[in-house]
Amino acid sequence: MNSSTPLRALIVDDEELARRLIREYLRGHADIEIAGECENGLDAVKQIGALSPDLVFLDIQMPRLTGLEVLELTGRRAGVIFTTAYDEHAIKAFELHAVDYLLKPFSKARFDDALARARTLHAPAGAPPAQAPALDALVARRTAPLERILIRDREQVHVIAIEQVECIEAQGDYLAIHVDGKCHLKPQRISEIEEQLDATRFLRIHRSFIISLAHLQAIERPGPDRHAARLRSGKRVPISRSGYEKLRTLV
Amino acid sequence: MHPILADARRLLWYELAWLLAGVGLASLLRLTEQAEWTGALEFALPLCVVWSFDALSSYYICRSQPYSQRRWPVTLSLFGGASLLSALVWLGLGETWNLLGRWMSHDNKPFVVMNSAGWVMYFAAGFALYLLALLAHDVLIAFESVQEAARREAESRVLARDAELQMLRTQINPHFLFNSLNSISALTGFDPEAAREMTVDLAQFFRRTLALAARERITLGEEVTLCEHFLAIEKRRFGAKLAADLRVEPEAAACLLPPMTLQPLLENAIKHGIRQVDGGGTIVVEAQVRDGGLHIAVVNPVAAEDVPAGGHGVGLRNIRERLAVLYGTRARMAWQRGATQFTIEIHLPVDKETAA
Repeated sequence: MNSSTPLRALIVDDEELARRLIREYLRGHADIEIAGECENGLDAVKQIGALSPDLVFLDIQMPRLTGLEVLELTGRRAGVIFTTAYDEHAIKAFELHAVDYLLKPFSKARFDDALARARTLHAPAGAPPAQAPALDALVARRTAPLERILIRDREQVHVIAIEQVECIEAQGDYLAIHVDGKCHLKPQRISEIEEQLDATRFLRIHRSFIISLAHLQAIERPGPDRHAARLRSGKRVPISRSGYEKLRTLV
Repeated sequence: MHPILADARRLLWYELAWLLAGVGLASLLRLTEQAEWTGALEFALPLCVVWSFDALSSYYICRSQPYSQRRWPVTLSLFGGASLLSALVWLGLGETWNLLGRWMSHDNKPFVVMNSAGWVMYFAAGFALYLLALLAHDVLIAFESVQEAARREAESRVLARDAELQMLRTQINPHFLFNSLNSISALTGFDPEAAREMTVDLAQFFRRTLALAARERITLGEEVTLCEHFLAIEKRRFGAKLAADLRVEPEAAACLLPPMTLQPLLENAIKHGIRQVDGGGTIVVEAQVRDGGLHIAVVNPVAAEDVPAGGHGVGLRNIRERLAVLYGTRARMAWQRGATQFTIEIHLPVDKETAA
């Protein structure tokens, strides 16, 4: 551990008293410096980008964006200590992926423990972060189906309700998410989002297309052995042979 | 056991009815000049009393053919056959009793002197009486099953409500509890006095929740006191972000309502409203009695571009269902999301504590 440069920490929690408690617990640790504080998820996304702190104390249940959504949007995969009062889904996921977390209210000793663990995981600049695989899995494999999709467009974050999504198209390393005649780009693999979506509402009908069953209007047959889905917006989406089989058992 | 045999009073009335039928039969015999009054009565009355027990068997025949799975050809032939059989018993009893009467009398005279047409009429009367008993029992059973269904429904409602109260008592929102404890933990470091106050508020809130949830109805005033403890705790957690304005008219405060009707609405307003708005806002609660009804409105600000992360509206629907179970159509609950605020309105019938 390099003692000359202190670790810079960001505290994210919408309750002032909860932030204050972490500040107080940190007072005993001379090697940690508080870089900033955030009251909501959106602010956290911005601050993580602007400050690139070494350590983030991240609450799960927050207004605007949850802690996991903050990770998803920032791509941050190391130097995170989660805090939560009660969240069955999140805690199940933490246990599953062996990610450390603090249950509120927590003692000074437990806090110091988590901090010591974070220090050992803290990789020197340039080295790949040690926590990355666990957090990657945590963000990618949600225990609950996705209720909204987040898209980061430079400094802006769009939050799209899942009911509005018509279809999702793979375009290289990106996903094109079609909503109300508009198209949003998000860096993610189609197989990953397919796993997160509610399988009763969304169906992958092609190697590069997932459609919302609520937006499906008709199945067309433009040629022998070829099928296409017509959506309520008028948009046409190709259906592969295996996609057609899946669709037939559902509709 | 047969419902008439199970109850002495019912049995008495039943036998009286049969004695009346016996008098009817006797007068019929007298009118057709088949017997003198004394002989007719001596013949008919004991016969009716004895045969009345045979007629009770119709209860079991009706029960063997429940309405829901009745096949009419089978049922009709069963009813006809049973009536025929019973009429034969009736005939045999009549003949025997008449012979016994002749044997017992001094002048070797039977009770009645019937020609064959008379005996045919007598047989037909037995058939008709038994058929009548079958129909009467059918009606009785139908009436019983309706009553039974109503009783079972009322019972299941009571059970459902008990289960709900039980759930309420145990369902202490863990998120609220643990976050509050975390706030207390933070306060002890720099404001022990505030930490103590918050501990007391938390204890009061849970104590009152447990006490009130056990009761069927509480006054709005009691519910408001509970809400004040709740708001005191939430104000410590959210600081200047949360303000509340409770405008409860004295007349409204005396009205009765089911416990935990208002508190979940405030919890909802904070979770989905105040917390999501930068800078927070004020929750306004208004309660008044007008047009013979209790009106409660809860208004809170909401974030304009909020996309709920899930679970929205479940709590509200639960409250609406609970009110529907307790009040039926006399209660109404509606909510509406505007551009910047969320409004919940509840109308309940006015129900006040009777001075005991």
